[in-house]
Amino acid sequence: MKTVSDMNMSELAAYVCSHLLYNGIEVVLSGGACVSLYTAGQYVSYDLDFIENLSSGRRKLKKILEQIGFHEEGRYFKHPETDYFLEFPPGPLAVGDEPPQQIIILTFATGQLKALSPTDCLKDRLSAYYHWNDRQCLEQAILIAKSQEVDISEVERWSKGEGQLEKFAEFLGHTQ
Amino acid sequence: MLEALLGTVNREKVLIYIYARNEGYPREVAKFFNTDLRSIQNQFEKLEYGGILYSRLVGNTRLYTFNPRYPFLAELKALLDKALSFYSAEERDRLTMHRQRPRRTGKPL
Repeated sequence: MKTVSDMNMSELAAYVCSHLLYNGIEVVLSGGACVSLYTAGQYVSYDLDFIENLSSGRRKLKKILEQIGFHEEGRYFKHPETDYFLEFPPGPLAVGDEPPQQIIILTFATGQLKALSPTDCLKDRLSAYYHWNDRQCLEQAILIAKSQEVDISEVERWSKGEGQLEKFAEFLGHTQ
Repeated sequence: MLEALLGTVNREKVLIYIYARNEGYPREVAKFFNTDLRSIQNQFEKLEYGGILYSRLVGNTRLYTFNPRYPFLAELKALLDKALSFYSAEERDRLTMHRQRPRRTGKPL
């Protein structure tokens, strides 16, 4: 088994995800780290956002993460051997006002990682662009669309529900 | 009114205020309800951490509003709308009837 200092982002995320699951905490990777995962590092995030739908409680989380060398610093968990840090934003796991359509399980030498699917990850980024006009998130959504197979008709259906077909058309224009 | 559900009366005050006025900041909410500023600030921070509110800096003031990405926003607003209808007419007016239109700088009252 690799040491934490030798793990890349995906391996570390899988390591943490598996350790938590072994101890009864089921989390899903979301946010910028998911973008990094699906764009082969074209976008870099050091913040690993794990979402647990029904919180097990901070105290339990802290105890379990301490077993693998993470310590709590404010709202984050850090490890002395890596620059990556963990965050556990409150649930629910959602893209816009819907739950994600699919959770993907990826296997690495360090464990199994549950993550948003590329299509849901793309919707998550577009949601930030739709509602906050965040153009960095639009760029990330475009990167995902260009790097992964995504269900564009599903993204269109979801965008319609969010009342954002105009911005969806703009996004689509950037991907062609 | 929603204290049993929301946990604290100040959380209800913050949410009702933001619902009625679309946006707000801790000092004005504390002043409006004549309550402790620190406690109101705590509620704003918790609601932001929970993804229900989000904030942006306007000058030196951190202004909060509902987070449009919160998945239960429509349902929360429906609940707050109903709760607001149970407030006294006077309290409702105080919350909702405030000047929204701009006032030119230097204009006498």
